[in-house]
Amino acid sequence: MDISSVQKLCIHLISSAYQRCRLSEDLCRLSVLLESTLATPIVRVSISDTGTGSCLEEFQDLKYSREGLGTEKWDGLLSIKTTSISDNKIYHYHLNLRESGSSRRLTRLPSIPKNDTKFSGTEVCLSISDTIDALLTEIKRFFQKMLILMIPCVAAELVIKRGDVPGLPCENIFLPNECNPLNFSSSNVERLKSGLEEYVLKHGNILNNKCDSCFCSREQLKISSGVACSMESQRGPGLIVEAVIAISELAESPCFGSRSNKTEVLHFKDFSPCSASVASLNALTSIDWRSYGLTFGSIVDQVDHALIEWESLPPDLRIGKYKHQPDRHLIKKAVKLALDDFKGKYTGFLLSAHAVKICSYAPDLASSIAGIILSSNDLEFRSRCASLLKLSQSQEIGRQTVEDYCIKGKIISVIETNDRKPEKSKEAAPLLFEDYRPQDLEPIPYLEEYEGGDDGFSFQD
Amino acid sequence: MEGIRSRDLLRKIKEFTLSILEDLSEGRSPLISIQRFRIYCANFDSNCGCRSNKPNGHEILTFQKESHVHRIDVLLRVLLIVQQLLQESKHASKRDIYYMHPLVFSDQTVVDRAINDICILLQCSRHNLNVVSVGTGLVMGWLRFFEAGRKFDCINSSNTAHTIPVLVEDVKDIVSVAHYILIVEKESVFQRLANDKFCSKNRCIVITGRGYPDVSTRRFLRLLVDKLCLPVYCLVDCDPYGVDILATYRFGSMQMAYDAKFLRVPRIQWLGAFPSDSENYNLPQQCLLPLTMEDKRRTEAMLQRCYLHQEVPGWRSELELMLQRGTKFEIEALAVHSLSFLSEVYIPCKIQEITSICHI
Repeated sequence: MDISSVQKLCIHLISSAYQRCRLSEDLCRLSVLLESTLATPIVRVSISDTGTGSCLEEFQDLKYSREGLGTEKWDGLLSIKTTSISDNKIYHYHLNLRESGSSRRLTRLPSIPKNDTKFSGTEVCLSISDTIDALLTEIKRFFQKMLILMIPCVAAELVIKRGDVPGLPCENIFLPNECNPLNFSSSNVERLKSGLEEYVLKHGNILNNKCDSCFCSREQLKISSGVACSMESQRGPGLIVEAVIAISELAESPCFGSRSNKTEVLHFKDFSPCSASVASLNALTSIDWRSYGLTFGSIVDQVDHALIEWESLPPDLRIGKYKHQPDRHLIKKAVKLALDDFKGKYTGFLLSAHAVKICSYAPDLASSIAGIILSSNDLEFRSRCASLLKLSQSQEIGRQTVEDYCIKGKIISVIETNDRKPEKSKEAAPLLFEDYRPQDLEPIPYLEEYEGGDDGFSFQD
Repeated sequence: MEGIRSRDLLRKIKEFTLSILEDLSEGRSPLISIQRFRIYCANFDSNCGCRSNKPNGHEILTFQKESHVHRIDVLLRVLLIVQQLLQESKHASKRDIYYMHPLVFSDQTVVDRAINDICILLQCSRHNLNVVSVGTGLVMGWLRFFEAGRKFDCINSSNTAHTIPVLVEDVKDIVSVAHYILIVEKESVFQRLANDKFCSKNRCIVITGRGYPDVSTRRFLRLLVDKLCLPVYCLVDCDPYGVDILATYRFGSMQMAYDAKFLRVPRIQWLGAFPSDSENYNLPQQCLLPLTMEDKRRTEAMLQRCYLHQEVPGWRSELELMLQRGTKFEIEALAVHSLSFLSEVYIPCKIQEITSICHI
């Protein structure tokens, strides 16, 4: 693991602490303390967790880059205290990552006895020459993203003690939603869905609760997911990609103004936020977005997340996507599954541009069919039609709008169903029977030979 | 198709509508199957089936293609209008129908196609839908008939032109002492014969479609042929258009292919003008016009039609000769000798030739 900045170092240490908590499968607490004093511009960072004990290798593997970090920011020293549940003491080490060679790097300090108490955990401390604010934004953002994963039973807190500010320390608490019915047995993708929902409702987990001005009800936010797996093979272990899509129906957001044509894409790998891989960017670019009514413009990898810019967005849509593991085909498959899941669950959403065009004919088609029914002087025929449309007898007479509405609704529903079918099955029926001779289809070329006959246009007609 | 009543068609319209509603109410996409007909193809084998009157496959319209949905939209609008015409026993022309939704229809041909589709779906002819057109054909000669109570007495004034009635099904009591029926391509030639009092000297019926014949003219001609069993001769210009008009009378048109068996006149014979007539009748060079690129393209396309190989190879030879020579001429060119050359010499000679050949 290469460290190129103090922020990245802190994030990595916090992420490791999270993993240790996750693996313990028990109630855990993760605490990050940032302390500064008036006297010197030094921040003391302490990251402690009550997860499984850590092994030294995860710290020894850190590669300190002098060019990236600079000697003035960090002296390379880590103070580590760790214990596993089965240990009877707390081990204490100092690790100097500036030194090369394992013997010069590691200093063992006296252990602390546990006196027969059973607990596990780790505390890592380091001092950085920087301000708290330089670290704060990125650490907060990390926590906000980690909440999406909804790792159960991990309570995280970020405590800031500024030497120059009198009074109580400032605290931020990051807890998974207590009202959430998820528990240990929920799948990762269920957690991801729930986490993303909270993330969007709370404007990126900045708020503690759902923003009521933007979202009157949770139903305004629609979520779907897709999971793609590859089997274990000689080439490597099996991989899983889970993708979740959130679309909120907001024409105007009170908090952010008019809707944007950009979509945030967040990536996670091994239960930790990561940047977008080339495979992921390629996968997203290669999806046929038009079949979902979207026009892909470009994708940009920003530091914190990737951003898709759409050339034009269908009304009221914003999309967020989240996935694990880089593998281009799996990513594409997972995202497609999530998009198809969305289309299947929420009728009328993500209709391809083709389906939208065909739907535009629905009112006229319905009107003509309704006209044929209502203008017929055969009462039995009219009542048969009414019963097919499930209208009561008193409703059908003279209520063209009702017929239009019923018939139009059914036509649109059929078009939407067709749009959901996979591409290859769409063309089968017509081609099966056509004696395909393009010159016999429209427009009939023989028309141009007709001048004034009945079969062509004639003023005499 | 005669004998089809409005009641049957209205029933079929209702059945069609019910089937669409059934599909929609069960969440199925409706499929509308429309048979395809043709009167010729580019396949010269004798078993091409173009003259069998059977459909040549069908196309299926669905909600999955935008072009299909547009076509279904137009078809349903026209069907609604047709239902109203049939229920109220009213008639409308294709142009009237176009003007009911000009923005949607955008072009007359769109309406024409919808009417054709409906005829195929309901298995009827256009006039059964109460869709009519203003007649363009003219008739004169030794003929009398009644149409919707009105008497057409061409016999009393055999050189006076009468308009061919549009509602051919209303034509009754046909009486004639003619020996043959003569069809001329153009109104100018028809008028020439009228001026020359052709019918006073020749016991015949003369008809013109004024170019490509409309459906009423073709139906009327077919009615006369069926009732009177007379030979039919056709006089057209010696150019690709003329031959195409001749072919329309004889074999039918692609557009009305589904109705061709009721519209064509298989016994029609090509009287003239032939390319060889320009020598035989000493036409001066200035009367012969060069074939344009378009003429040549059309001629080559027509030569691909299967019936020219299977049914009328003689016509094909004349057409090939025309193409080979690269020239064309109009019937009026025969007036270079004298104004009444056509009536007094050309036509009688040609008829004499044909009848003597037939009697061999």
